[in-house]
Amino acid sequence: MSSQQQQSSSTSTNNNSLQQPIPTISVKLVLLGEAAVGKSSLVLRFVSNDFQENKEPTIGAAFLTQKCTINNQIIKYEIWDTAGQERFASLAPMYYRNAQAAIIVYDITKPASFIKARHWVKELHEQANKNITIALVGNKYDLVEDEEEGGANENEESLRKVSYEEGLNLANEEGLLFFETSAKTNHNITEVFVAIGEKIPKDKSNESNINNGNEGGRIDLLNNEHIPQKSNTCC
Amino acid sequence: MAFFENLKDKALNTFQQVLLDKKDGSGLTKEQLFCQQYHIPDGETLIYRSNGVVVVKSEYNETTQADYQVPLSQGKIYLTQHFLIFEDENDKKNCSFNLYLSTVKKVERVSSDYGELALNIITYSKLHITLHLDDIRSECERFASSLSTTLKKYLKNLNKLQPFIQTCYSEYLLSKNKITNEKIDHVPPGGLGLIFKFPGNAKELRDKTKLKMWFDYFKEHGRHLSLIKTPLYYKLIRVGLPNRLRGEIWELCSGSIYLRIDHQGEYINLLNNNKDKKSFAIEEIEKDLNRSLPEYAAYQSTEGIEKLRRVLTAYSWKNPDVGYCQAMNIVVAALLIYMSEEQAFWTLNMLCDRIVPGYYSKTMYGTLLDQRVFESLVQNTMPILWDHIIKNDIQLSVVSLPWFLSLYLSSMPLVYAFRILDIFFLQGPKTLFQVALAILKLNGDELLKTEDDGTFISIIKTYFHTLDQSAHPSSSNSKYRNTTNFQELLVTAFKEFSNIDEEMINQHKNKHRDSIFQNISSFVKRTEIRNLPRLNNISNETLNILYDRFYSSVEISNITKGSGSSLMDYKAFLKFMSDICDWVQFIDPKDEKNDTHFLKRLFNHWDPEKQNALTFSDLTVGLNNLVETDLMTSMSNFFELYDDKHNGKLDRDSIIQISEDLLYITSPWKEGYLFDEITKVAVENEVANEIYQEQIKNGNEKFELPKHVDVNREKLEQQQVQRYLQAASTFMQRSFEYAIPEKEEVLIEDLAIDNKISHNAALNPNTPVYLDRPTFRMVILADESYELLFSSTLRNATHLSKPLDQKFNPIGNIKNMFDGLLADGKKVANQVRRRMDSRASQMTNNSSNNSIKSSKSKIEEEDDEKDDDFGIISIDEKDKDLILATEAQTLVDPITNKPANQNEFKRFHKAEENSIHKHNKENLIEFET
Repeated sequence: MSSQQQQSSSTSTNNNSLQQPIPTISVKLVLLGEAAVGKSSLVLRFVSNDFQENKEPTIGAAFLTQKCTINNQIIKYEIWDTAGQERFASLAPMYYRNAQAAIIVYDITKPASFIKARHWVKELHEQANKNITIALVGNKYDLVEDEEEGGANENEESLRKVSYEEGLNLANEEGLLFFETSAKTNHNITEVFVAIGEKIPKDKSNESNINNGNEGGRIDLLNNEHIPQKSNTCC
Repeated sequence: MAFFENLKDKALNTFQQVLLDKKDGSGLTKEQLFCQQYHIPDGETLIYRSNGVVVVKSEYNETTQADYQVPLSQGKIYLTQHFLIFEDENDKKNCSFNLYLSTVKKVERVSSDYGELALNIITYSKLHITLHLDDIRSECERFASSLSTTLKKYLKNLNKLQPFIQTCYSEYLLSKNKITNEKIDHVPPGGLGLIFKFPGNAKELRDKTKLKMWFDYFKEHGRHLSLIKTPLYYKLIRVGLPNRLRGEIWELCSGSIYLRIDHQGEYINLLNNNKDKKSFAIEEIEKDLNRSLPEYAAYQSTEGIEKLRRVLTAYSWKNPDVGYCQAMNIVVAALLIYMSEEQAFWTLNMLCDRIVPGYYSKTMYGTLLDQRVFESLVQNTMPILWDHIIKNDIQLSVVSLPWFLSLYLSSMPLVYAFRILDIFFLQGPKTLFQVALAILKLNGDELLKTEDDGTFISIIKTYFHTLDQSAHPSSSNSKYRNTTNFQELLVTAFKEFSNIDEEMINQHKNKHRDSIFQNISSFVKRTEIRNLPRLNNISNETLNILYDRFYSSVEISNITKGSGSSLMDYKAFLKFMSDICDWVQFIDPKDEKNDTHFLKRLFNHWDPEKQNALTFSDLTVGLNNLVETDLMTSMSNFFELYDDKHNGKLDRDSIIQISEDLLYITSPWKEGYLFDEITKVAVENEVANEIYQEQIKNGNEKFELPKHVDVNREKLEQQQVQRYLQAASTFMQRSFEYAIPEKEEVLIEDLAIDNKISHNAALNPNTPVYLDRPTFRMVILADESYELLFSSTLRNATHLSKPLDQKFNPIGNIKNMFDGLLADGKKVANQVRRRMDSRASQMTNNSSNNSIKSSKSKIEEEDDEKDDDFGIISIDEKDKDLILATEAQTLVDPITNKPANQNEFKRFHKAEENSIHKHNKENLIEFET
């Protein structure tokens, strides 16, 4: 499924006349992927709408939360951002345990990171929660944006090493959501989280997490200006 | 691909680490423990030990007043190759030293007030250490002579000393202040802080005062390699080290200073020798260079980045088993603020090898283990908080893991993290636990209020950013009011949790070690199995078993060999194969070195890298081919084992080799130890017949399976033995008969027609001939037993999924085989029933004359279904008699039996055609004429 379809099916709920508190659902989400593909940057963009060029590597894992409104519901993402280096992989089960959603990130300029992404898909399918919603995300779109929009210079080798189709194929084979993003330029970041929020099965078991959603500090994803206007550029 | 390389390495290393660390848990050797306890390099051994009294004086101590009392201490004296060690027996903090023997200038005998013998040792740093040995005279003499021998022996170390002291700031400090006459030409190399400023406000930290205090200390108690530790030493470290001396004292506390003096130049050599080499570790290092303490100015400059790159890279070459682990970049970046590259490099070595072993290893078992230990300690010391954490399913490690792994450097503001690091190097890894417990304790009330990870983490985060603030801002007592959160943290950590010592931590480690290793092993196993190439003939469950078997064989072979490799060598391979293959039971041990042996051939063929060893992946790929279920592919795989030139041709020698190996592989059947399917069916038939006859004799309509049936075992066994011997001889014969003359390929056309000359040419040992793939398959298919060998016998005799702990000997008990067959009464019963039914129908047809014979043939037809199980596929039933061994005899002389020959070809061609999708069509053309 492409991002624009996701977009259109979402409806705004930012309605002041609603008297009842909007139910909040907590969603445990884990980020996985090779080192330095931009997992933490993706989260930083989503949570703080910020970007740091030389972010220190995540040691072990980091935990952040962010609320957003999707389809009449407030979803509170509890984000577990994991360390990417291979040897930290044995810690990952500690963090993806009970996760309802996962974002597997690779770097579209690094083929090895895509292989690693495949590995994570397998690992999650075998080991994680059966109903886990997984999004595959090819990050660092900003690095290829110019060459692709301005027409690639024939003589220069493209920085892109993983094609959009490759990513899409993997996602289709494995039943994953798929996006190409840039945490740096804020391209498609919120779309990833919206799509996950829509796809996540909202069964009764989540009801226990529901509480009053009137706490401050949440962003309304669908009425927020930091949604990029050009959301179709990934194709 | 680097990624897979890494995975492979990781899997291989886990097992080594598990082995290594298990040794650790069960106890290091006495010597190792001793070296560890006194922070001296591994390899030192005890030459002499005794009790004694030590008196230390310094020549620089001008302050000696009339009532000045020379410090005196009683304790244990040890002599090793490079060190004279002393430790006070009441409290080691009272007085202790590691005297590096090269710093000894003079030893003289003096009269002793306390014991048999006293030695006055004068060091290069102008310390006078008087040892009064409390031992019997002869032992004292032994010590004196040992000491003098040792000193003489290491005299050459003296020239290491001069360049070394030039790198010590303590030396520079004394020389600059004209205390010593040493010529220190340059300011010794130091950390990046010299250029980019040290973190924190030097004035606030009272850096100068601290430096002065150390200056006095050095005068009185010696310095670096000959420093005497007194209670003041510990106090000076606890209040925080002065910037300029921090690196040197860290070195001294950790013991890395001894590595540096012993291995002068090694750091530079490592870098030079590996100058333009690439590695996976280097790739990983490069990713993190720009993100190691990025807020510190030096790491926004090339100079800082370069230093960091060099130290991390040198370490990855020094210890490829560890390579590079994220968090090491932060630790090294921090060390480099206070240390020269060489100092940082050796301190990193000390950290990884001894202080926090396994923290940065490929599996990070040390990190995982210490997290578990930490959880246990929280549970024991703060049960209420622990229950709260469990109840709310809070992931404690998400906060605590980075504390341990980055030694608090990524969690606290650097100024405070360095204070912790000072104490960490002094006291060892227990410091990490004490501080961690204190953090939770001091935030306990707040933490108990929170129910989710997010708040939990943010409470701690906020706390770290208020370490400089008053711990009791509203207290009326100004002393309390002036206590900062950080001071309170230190007091809590080292007073309240002073009972958390190495011994307690080790106890907890021993408790959790096995389960941690198990988790890691199963993770690594999962990963390695998942990353194997696609294997069609081996299930995932089987791979799990094979994995265990592989590593158990590898471990066993390494223990005996004493090497650390976890590749499978030939010897381990033989053991592996003999454990799972019935047909390897016959290995002649003398034959192991025989390069032409079939298993050696398999081994070499499965070893694509030609490293004379198999990885787990090599082995499984090989086994996958061996148990190939498709008949044609199975034969082709076998053919390829001998096709050394990869040209699709087996020469005369290969043909001879292949027939010898077939003879070897089929030994269990040829010798009558195992029964193949043909024999099994024959047994079944025989048993059924026996029962059938019995039924007829007794006239029973209702039949029961008897408890026991006598079968002519010998006869069946003999038949099978004959069949295999026959197969072997016909194989050889036919191979040469149909072998294609190398240079006279035009004759191939005539081969099937009447041409005596061509056959003669092929049979003539002087004519080079070859056997190609289709011909090989044809020859195999021409023999029922050999065909069966490739379609099922070999596969069924290769027990890939045999559990590791199962001990069984499949050979040598034919009785069991018959019992097994009888136990499968259903099959036999079906047979008998069919015979009965068939007899009944024969009777009604009134054709009783030929009843026995025709019913027999009918049974054989009905058995066709079962024949398919043998894998005899794609051959028309009516043609089948042609390949049965007796008829095949006619092939022995094909010249006189041309028609049969022609038929053969057609049939084989048909069989080939059935697998045409897999095979080279060109090869088949030869048979179409």
